[in-house]
Amino acid sequence: MTERTISVDYLARVEGEGALTVRIRGQEVDDVQLRIFEPPRFFEAFLRGRSYLEAPDITARICGICPVAYQMSSCHALERALGMEVGGPIRELRRLLYCGEWIESHALHIYLLHAPDFLGYPDAVHLAKDHPEAVRHGLELKKAGNHLMQVVGGREIHPVNVRIGGFYRCPTVDELGALRPELERALALAEETVRFAAALDFPDIEEDYEFVALRNEREYPMNEGEVASNRGLRVPMHQFEDVFEEVHVAHSTALHSVRRGAGSYLVGPLARYALNHDRLPPRARSAANEAGLGGTVRNPYRSIVVRAVEVVFACEEALRLLDHYRPPAAPFVEPPPTFRATEGSAITEAPRGMLYHRYRLNDGGLIEAAKIVAPTSQNQKRIEDDLRHLVERSLALDDASLTDACERAIRNHDPCISCSTHFLSLDITRS
Amino acid sequence: MSVPSGPSTSGRDLLVIGLGTEHRGDDRCGLDVVRSLPGGLPEGVRVVEGPGEATALLELWSGSDRVIVVDAVRSGSLPGTVHRLDAGPNGLPSRLGATSTHGLSLADAIELARSLGRLPRRVTVLGIEVADLGPREGLTGPVADAVGRVRAILLEEIGVAVPGAPGD
Repeated sequence: MTERTISVDYLARVEGEGALTVRIRGQEVDDVQLRIFEPPRFFEAFLRGRSYLEAPDITARICGICPVAYQMSSCHALERALGMEVGGPIRELRRLLYCGEWIESHALHIYLLHAPDFLGYPDAVHLAKDHPEAVRHGLELKKAGNHLMQVVGGREIHPVNVRIGGFYRCPTVDELGALRPELERALALAEETVRFAAALDFPDIEEDYEFVALRNEREYPMNEGEVASNRGLRVPMHQFEDVFEEVHVAHSTALHSVRRGAGSYLVGPLARYALNHDRLPPRARSAANEAGLGGTVRNPYRSIVVRAVEVVFACEEALRLLDHYRPPAAPFVEPPPTFRATEGSAITEAPRGMLYHRYRLNDGGLIEAAKIVAPTSQNQKRIEDDLRHLVERSLALDDASLTDACERAIRNHDPCISCSTHFLSLDITRS
Repeated sequence: MSVPSGPSTSGRDLLVIGLGTEHRGDDRCGLDVVRSLPGGLPEGVRVVEGPGEATALLELWSGSDRVIVVDAVRSGSLPGTVHRLDAGPNGLPSRLGATSTHGLSLADAIELARSLGRLPRRVTVLGIEVADLGPREGLTGPVADAVGRVRAILLEEIGVAVPGAPGD
């Protein structure tokens, strides 16, 4: 019986370190293993013994692309632990900051990491030679998101202005108002991005995903909501660990998340959109309709269109928040002066999907235990399922073509393995 | 970190960028180099940390005439070896992989900038050969030594004489 192994030790255009092994025996797929180096595990240990006030800044270092997500989940989890209520303009500013991160992260993925797959280029550098306008649009959109992060977050990379209870300093009405022309231009570019993405050629494939995302009654979710799925799940975010569990698998330093008793699930843009498209504001909804998305997108390749719709949403929402902004009386809500041992958890929607944080504090306000479940680790098992189906459909391909197809399938889900260095070596072995 | 407020206006300007990821062993050496530079550098010299991903370099060096990037490098040389590379017409030497923390590498960013006509007139990479990129804090000995040497190279480049600076 013919046995062959596809082994990708470095996944191109997947941030950081990831590796894939596919074992095929005859006409059967024996095993699919996606291995990911997952830095949050290291950070969980690193956080122990630190003051709760340090958590937003320390966890922001986990990812150079989505530091705000780590800050938001850590703030909300710790504020819940401490019984703090943070609302009004501070809540709106947090949402505005998150809009910046969604714009920059999605723009990077759409134009520089995902588009080359559809247009037949090995990477963004080659794409830029033939389609400089597309890459320029991506960079301009990304810059608008980064600029928003810089103004609200203090700086665009690892924002330093976020703290438990709010911000160290809140921007003035004029500082935010000055962003309006750039964000209006970004909104127009985002709508063009939806048209650009919708016109790409997509393989005719649908997967039967269990989509999991936050959902709330009033808006497209970022920082609030219940955990919902398209299969009827609806639980408070603080019950996340009752419903989902992490399973250790030998081949990866990452844990596999599964819904207890149900198996793999998908978080991220496809899930958010499927569960919340009725919450999109008018221009994002129009863009989705024009792109022919319908209410649910099960084709993972079309995630590029959904990401583009979410960029329209983030620009539109940022402009709305700018217009309604009134600085709060104080930039942050004071944490309680004394402590008792306590625990709290929260989920926010990182660009790549739900990011869960839980912290246990002692009576001195020091972190005794931290748990971080990143979107990529939640999607890992589901990506393996996509890959298994892909390989089953594609056994006739030669190894090189199959490897390319696998890498593409992984990039559909924008896995983030950031905070890691990268190495390149690629080999394929047959036996 | 100082964030440039806008494009530089003088052809004599120099932008020094330190790249790296904290908590990943030697990968942070570029950050340590720029953090070690003294304050009060000559007018026109800007020193920045970051960015978190390589495409942001295009924005960061926009308008700059001369750029020096300090980054971790893995090429098989002895740890602590300092590589000096100019992003000439043929790009960085392909034998040398500049290790980046993100989807696009420093070498990709340079080539992307070239494709889009956004490459500064002169970009030099000072790369430090790394030994350990595992998840931990602090540099290995040879890399820590190299940080001092690269600091001295930069100060000479900037034109600042610092008595007692660690030399080569």
